[in-house]
Amino acid sequence: MQTYILRRLLALVPTLFIASVIVFVIVRMVPGDVVDLMLSQNDAGSNKLTRDQLLETLGLDKPMWEQYGIWISNLVFRGDLGNSLWQGDTVVSMIAARLPVTFELGLLAMVIALTVAIPVGVYSAVKQDTAGDYVARSFSLLMLAVPSFWVGTMITVFPSIWWGWSPEIHFVPFHEDPWQNLQQLIIPAVILGLSLSAITMRMTRTMMLEVLRQDYIRTARAKGLREMLILTRHAVRNALIPVITLIGSQAPILIGGAVILEQIFVLPGMGLLLLDAVNQRDYPVVTGVFFVVGLTVMLINLVVDLSYGLIDPKVRQR
Amino acid sequence: MKTQAISVQPQAASKAASRPNACWRFLSKLFREKRLGAIGAVVAVVFLFVGLFADVLAPYGMNEVDMGARLQAPSWAHPFGTDNLGRDLLSRCMYGAQISVIIGLTVAAISTVISALIGIISGYFGGKVDLVIQRFVDAWMSFPGLVVLIVVASVFGAGITQIIFTLGLLIGIGGSRIVRSAVVSVREDMYIHAAKSIGASAPRILWRHVLPNVIPPLIVLFTSSVGTAILAESGLSFLGLGVPPPHPTWGGMLSGNGRTYMLQGPWLALAPGICLTLVVYAINVFGDALRDMLDPRMRGSR
Amino acid sequence: MKLTAIAAVARLSVGLTLGAAAAAALAQEAPKYGGTLDVATTSTAVTTLSWDLADWQATLQTRDTGQFYEQLFSVDLTKAKSRGGKYSFTISGWQPTEAIRGELAETWNWTTPLTLEIKLRKGVKFPAKQGVMAERELVADDVVYSFNRMNTSAKRTQGYYDHVDKVEAKDKHTVVFTFNKFIADWDYRFGNGFFSGIMPKEVADAGAGNWKNVNGTGPFMLTNVAQGNSLTFSKNPVYWDKDVIGGKEYKLPFVDRVVHRVIKDETTQHAALRTGKLDILSSISAEAARELKKSSPDLKWNRWLTTTANRVALRVDTKPFTDVRVRRALNMAVNKQEIIDKYYGGEAEMFTFPMHPEYVGYHQPLKEQPASVQELFKYDPAKAKKLLAEAGYANGFSFKMQVCTCNPDQMELMPLVAAYLEGVGVKMEIVPMEYGAHLSAMTSHTNAAGYLTGIPDVNPTTSLRINFGKGQVYNAPMMDDAKFDARVAEANGERDEKKRQQILRELTTYVLDQAPAIWMPAPYRYTAWWPWVKNYGGEMFVGAGRFAPIHARIWIDQDLKKKMGY
Repeated sequence: MQTYILRRLLALVPTLFIASVIVFVIVRMVPGDVVDLMLSQNDAGSNKLTRDQLLETLGLDKPMWEQYGIWISNLVFRGDLGNSLWQGDTVVSMIAARLPVTFELGLLAMVIALTVAIPVGVYSAVKQDTAGDYVARSFSLLMLAVPSFWVGTMITVFPSIWWGWSPEIHFVPFHEDPWQNLQQLIIPAVILGLSLSAITMRMTRTMMLEVLRQDYIRTARAKGLREMLILTRHAVRNALIPVITLIGSQAPILIGGAVILEQIFVLPGMGLLLLDAVNQRDYPVVTGVFFVVGLTVMLINLVVDLSYGLIDPKVRQR
Repeated sequence: MKTQAISVQPQAASKAASRPNACWRFLSKLFREKRLGAIGAVVAVVFLFVGLFADVLAPYGMNEVDMGARLQAPSWAHPFGTDNLGRDLLSRCMYGAQISVIIGLTVAAISTVISALIGIISGYFGGKVDLVIQRFVDAWMSFPGLVVLIVVASVFGAGITQIIFTLGLLIGIGGSRIVRSAVVSVREDMYIHAAKSIGASAPRILWRHVLPNVIPPLIVLFTSSVGTAILAESGLSFLGLGVPPPHPTWGGMLSGNGRTYMLQGPWLALAPGICLTLVVYAINVFGDALRDMLDPRMRGSR
Repeated sequence: MKLTAIAAVARLSVGLTLGAAAAAALAQEAPKYGGTLDVATTSTAVTTLSWDLADWQATLQTRDTGQFYEQLFSVDLTKAKSRGGKYSFTISGWQPTEAIRGELAETWNWTTPLTLEIKLRKGVKFPAKQGVMAERELVADDVVYSFNRMNTSAKRTQGYYDHVDKVEAKDKHTVVFTFNKFIADWDYRFGNGFFSGIMPKEVADAGAGNWKNVNGTGPFMLTNVAQGNSLTFSKNPVYWDKDVIGGKEYKLPFVDRVVHRVIKDETTQHAALRTGKLDILSSISAEAARELKKSSPDLKWNRWLTTTANRVALRVDTKPFTDVRVRRALNMAVNKQEIIDKYYGGEAEMFTFPMHPEYVGYHQPLKEQPASVQELFKYDPAKAKKLLAEAGYANGFSFKMQVCTCNPDQMELMPLVAAYLEGVGVKMEIVPMEYGAHLSAMTSHTNAAGYLTGIPDVNPTTSLRINFGKGQVYNAPMMDDAKFDARVAEANGERDEKKRQQILRELTTYVLDQAPAIWMPAPYRYTAWWPWVKNYGGEMFVGAGRFAPIHARIWIDQDLKKKMGY
């Protein structure tokens, strides 16, 4: 087991660095460089002198490979992702301020998704093709089909007109005031969670259906075991496998930030950080965020793969 | 096992002859047993038709501005009402269907091909090839799709080709995992070992044994990609990165004027919103029914 | 019968009470201290970028740092329209000369044509800031320090302070500026512009980029930053300014806290305003305003003309736009009046680029412009076709026009313009571009023949120069007119404001006539606030991007707010 973990961790390293190079280059390929943007703000008009000066101050006058080299060595030896070109803050501090929000949103959404999806999925499988099954499946498909920004908009607008209520827009970190924090996060978490639950529910249902048909279930039934016991001990455990896969595959969204929901509900998360940084061509921030998101997603996937070993004995052999 | 290997031949011959029959049987089974899926299929086909023939069917042009007829509620002249520039909403929704059809089908096609290629190669050959490919897939999957899209939009300009290509790539690489696991499950099967042992070549094995097992998930991937692509474009429109004017898209209409004039003209949002939701819903329902019917694990269990 | 009589009496008495209350209100009710002011500013969609003035970032810095870093000059708010004066104070790039009031400067005069002596107010204090500085008085050295720090920053705009030879502290409260030449926007460059904040040395020593260290003489102190969500400021207990209301003098500020909200999404902004989570929403589109007036009839409103009007720049160095007749023809081919009436629903007006009507003295209304300029704003497709034929384009031509996808309003408007142009045989191909790419095309002077852009909100002299001067940042039309540039420079050096205004008016007429762009109408926008926000009439700026003194004078009627159910 330990060699497996080690091998996987080592496999991360080349992947991450290839990814970082690609990101580094692509972001700088984008037309409209940051100096243009900075100078355009300055009403007094720019000239070549200012442009050159800014390039040098920002360290952008060096050749690409040298810039990359500086970035990589800072990262590896000092854990330093550089500084924002606009703010002068360290990228690490900017990410540290936003990552918890995204994490919290993702976690809440996941909890909501699983709480809804697993019972509904199991129910749907057990009562296959009954009215209940159809209703459950139809509803979940509906959740998938309505765009999240639309739901978010409707929740923001209509209650404000009908009842004089609108979602909380003031952000406080969780550790400062958990209740206030949750007030703001709960609605986007529910929206995100419900759409995630749709996918999860269908997968749970499919896996449950398959498992329920297996021979060992028939045997257990034949032996006279109670239905509930069969369900919980055998069926659900196996049905968890695709669910965990799902968590892994949804990780980029959860870590990368649900930009649309962040925008509508004024959440200072990773998604908006990234969007703003790309719009402003804040290269260190974009590269840094990509890197952190990539690393986190890969680690999550590693955990997901490892948990397979816990659940599915067949996998453990490897 | 030897009998199985031999019996593949005659089956192939009879299969060829009965293919149109199989289609017919499939359709009738769909309508008999999976009614919801059947309805979904019909709805999807209707939209497909409207999308393909929008130029002919639409009563007005897609950008026919008529400032005298701004924000009119649905009426006989304009069954879906008009928007803030007096453009007929029904026509714009039809043209929106056209774009959705184009985006949906193209992205689904591209992504399915990509999923199949990556999934099959990675899954079948295994070993080092699998390891390397999966690391690339991992790396790619950890990029937030949005940023890739923004960067692409910036480097290559904002346009429908760029969106289609990028979405196809993103969805395709993501779907490759499912194909790969289908291939892996078959690879372990005994009769492939058997086929190998009697000297069957890799392409033959791929064609004869692997592909039939992979086609069901591919079909399901295809249908779900259509819905995902259409929804993704609507999200992009919200962020200002969708298909630019003049061509109307449901997502663009919904997130743009639909939101601005939500209270003065709710039909501006209802029309494209219902179209969008209905089409994605129909496709997903149909895809579900398909999967239920094609899944070999489900076959014979009723 | 009886019930109706009682009801009538009740109604009458209520009416009388309300009337009395209203009268009392007009008679200047006494302000109360306390409460929080929640504001969404005109740039609410963008989060702060830097706290260090030496980073030379315009706009956003003065918006946020302007709450605590004051400047030499601001405006006399008693001259606001809402208080019976002439000015609405809704533009940020320029303030009318007769409305200027010294902020940190008490008096100033020119001892020689090139020497400016400024006497600072006495008793202005920096509040104590833990870990940074103790409470102390503002002195001339602070002004000298701030100027030199800006002028030696690695990120400065080269040449911005070339006109200044040196800045010295003559004594504790006197600063002397020695110029080497006179430029018209000297007070804008260091006085009330974007790069004029006065900060203490202690903050720079502690680290000026860290928001926890910032400290200034302004009415509010920064207490919390939730990046991407909100900025919280608290009252400065030792703030120097006072306001006179109802004959009595009051120490400022009134409110305990100000919160700047960063809200990107428009529907969220409107919902927050509707439910009282925002006290002031500074920038609302005319369409949204119409709807908000219906759903929240208690709101108060102020209308203003946008400061970033649009023009479709036509590159004068590219055929066929080298011919002025072609450019004029395109202007006449577009039905601007119909755009105002139908597209903007009447909520727009013709705009004489680049002079905003609030540039009092510099702005000449359209009806006073010569006939040749006026005809550019009249719809006349026949004449347009004639001009095109004269220029040799009887069969029309086609050109590309770059527009930014970031502005949905522009994206919607352009197909309309294209339709008008097609009416005279000209095909305009719309090329949408992403924000950064679009901006870059202009700043690197590689933009297409047609380019849609808004003009920035700056002072009148600068405005002509950067929009039409050779090689300037916003010169998308690529104008290269040596005589024009020379005259602009002349205006810039003209001390006499009346003479300067005269020159600039002539130059504006000249540019309009030359039609290096299709001049588009400029839409109105609205500011809305709740009735419990008192002593406020919709004013927005006292200097470039800055409004702290306005917020300092606002007081919240908390009882009224509760009574209204918020």
